[in-house]
Amino acid sequence: MQTNRELIKIFHGPQHPGITGNMSVELDLLGETIKEAKTHVGYLHRGFEKLIERRTIIQAFTIVCRICVPEPDPNEENFARAIENLAGIEISQKAKYIRTMVLEMARLASLMLWMGGQSGSIGLGTIGQWSIYDRDLILDLFEELTGGRVYHMYIYPGGVRRELPIGFLDKLSQLLDHLEKRLPLYDNVFFENSTFKKRAIGVGVVNKDEALKNGYVGQVLRGCGIKRDVRRDNPYLVYDNLDFEIPTFEGCDVYARAMVRRQEIRESIKILRQIVEQMPTDGKIMQKIPKHRKFKIPKDDTFVSVESARGEYGFYMAGDGSEKIRRMQVKGPSLIHGFTLLEKLLIDEELSNVALIMNSLGICPPEIER
Amino acid sequence: MISSLKKYYEIEKKRDTLFKTHIEKEELLKTIDFITINSNFMTLSQIACADWIEDEVFTLNYILTTDRRDKNLMIEVNIPRVDSKLPTLLNIFPQSEVMERDLHEMYGIDFIGNSTLYDFVLEDWKEIPPLRREFDTLEYVNKHFNFRIGREDNRDVKVEIKRRRAEAKRLKNANK
Amino acid sequence: MKDIDIKGVISPFSAIAKLFEQPNTICYPAEKKSVPKGYRGFHTNTLTSCIGCANCQDVCMNNAIDMIPIEEDKNPKNSSGCIPRIDYGRCCWCSLCTDVCPPSSLKLEEDCIFATDDSNNFLYMPKDK
Repeated sequence: MQTNRELIKIFHGPQHPGITGNMSVELDLLGETIKEAKTHVGYLHRGFEKLIERRTIIQAFTIVCRICVPEPDPNEENFARAIENLAGIEISQKAKYIRTMVLEMARLASLMLWMGGQSGSIGLGTIGQWSIYDRDLILDLFEELTGGRVYHMYIYPGGVRRELPIGFLDKLSQLLDHLEKRLPLYDNVFFENSTFKKRAIGVGVVNKDEALKNGYVGQVLRGCGIKRDVRRDNPYLVYDNLDFEIPTFEGCDVYARAMVRRQEIRESIKILRQIVEQMPTDGKIMQKIPKHRKFKIPKDDTFVSVESARGEYGFYMAGDGSEKIRRMQVKGPSLIHGFTLLEKLLIDEELSNVALIMNSLGICPPEIER
Repeated sequence: MISSLKKYYEIEKKRDTLFKTHIEKEELLKTIDFITINSNFMTLSQIACADWIEDEVFTLNYILTTDRRDKNLMIEVNIPRVDSKLPTLLNIFPQSEVMERDLHEMYGIDFIGNSTLYDFVLEDWKEIPPLRREFDTLEYVNKHFNFRIGREDNRDVKVEIKRRRAEAKRLKNANK
Repeated sequence: MKDIDIKGVISPFSAIAKLFEQPNTICYPAEKKSVPKGYRGFHTNTLTSCIGCANCQDVCMNNAIDMIPIEEDKNPKNSSGCIPRIDYGRCCWCSLCTDVCPPSSLKLEEDCIFATDDSNNFLYMPKDK
């Protein structure tokens, strides 16, 4: 008897508990094996690049942070640095240290959110409850520093917006002590869990030889043993004064990327402790910049990038001599990972591994379609 | 490495790790092939496009990075705003597929050789490509959406100041 | 015989210890969390200092602020006779309006809870404080 098996088409998303945002993958299935995958985005398009063209620089600074939802601060830093490059503004050492501190705290918060997502995708709901609580403590500190929990609007072209509150650095040290005490718990239940190892080892294997040419960034490269990080290769702010390691892991699969992120949490805590010790006590936090309708940038263009929790995040910016920006183009790490890499990795995979691979690559739909 | 490329192209140093060169659009594929083979700039990081409507050109910047990811090179190309065409880089860099799709939808640039130029973000879009400068978002919003009532009592402050000054002067003259 | 990862099988059970700990949730609204000073909540406007210059309306990038005429003059220096009213359907709480206010009369307080059953009710007049 011959069974007639034909391909079934399903949409994985845009509403699915294992997905890191709103995007869908159109899958052609033969039984439970995927034969073809196509990514669809467009559920979160808010049109930031067109909105910026009608607003002056200071007005545009307030909406730039909303481009990426889990980690808004790299957007603000890129925007501020591009404006400072074009307008020729130098910021003080104290402002640089405060900005580095904010970026590292945002990286920790984003990695906590990743842990909840990755463990949820294999069915381990407990880790999500714990890591969201730890992230909440980081957001409490942000609330005290900047006035808002998720969208800070704090890194301003010219410096930062507010002074550090009194006793803030002590509270930060206490939080880092608390986080270090919680890390063995995550190790016992998640990273050393034999179920996770069985699900993750050998799944989502990236081809190491073409990884650099195809433009992959972040943990996808570091999980293949290739040590690349913007903070070390093309340093910005005060990263060349700080002592930290770039973790790598061989294996190129989901497990290797999870191990890299586990080590990055520890490195971030180490960097924050050094910043607390080295923070300058005097210095201006904000340079004098013109009023908002008189702040003009010359006709020139530039490209800046930072290392976010998911990889290299780049901005291209062009000014035209007026008080409005001519063009700001955003390129997040998920643009390449979400299309080229995901469609390649999903071929011949099981249906239940789709959410696992998407969380492991760190795909964040808001930054693909801004 | 930059000094060896300077023999063939005019390279401007914008910052310590950022360089820029300008080429004609007919030499695009040849230049990218040459630079990726004869130097360390082997990855395409971004294709950025800006609309200069007053000069009637689109300026595209192909941003290449080294394998150590420590330097960036911007290759600038100008193409006309009407009937814009460029060859695709799909055969050299697979990541250019989705970047060219994005630019095709937002600016209307045709990349010859790329067969995946369908909808990226917008669905059933019937107007002109939205990031072009002639697309007026305020006019589109006024045509298609209704604003909520309740804010009609907004006053123009400059008009109010003039009106009150004129009123005060009139009262002063009347009292005299 | 296959290698059994004994540590990987036993160690997740250490999570059972959490059964005997106090939960971290706050029982809202019986208990309330303390909001730090400087939180960007609702607007307040000191009417005896407001000069009606509309700098806040000019800088607001969402066009959320309307200048409406005031019934009785609280500040003789208010040359236009208008005070700001904010549309909370459009405001994004960026506090640029408080940064550019020349007499610093427009400020943000820590209160942030507002509920209404009429969706047209979001035009908010800042409290006079």
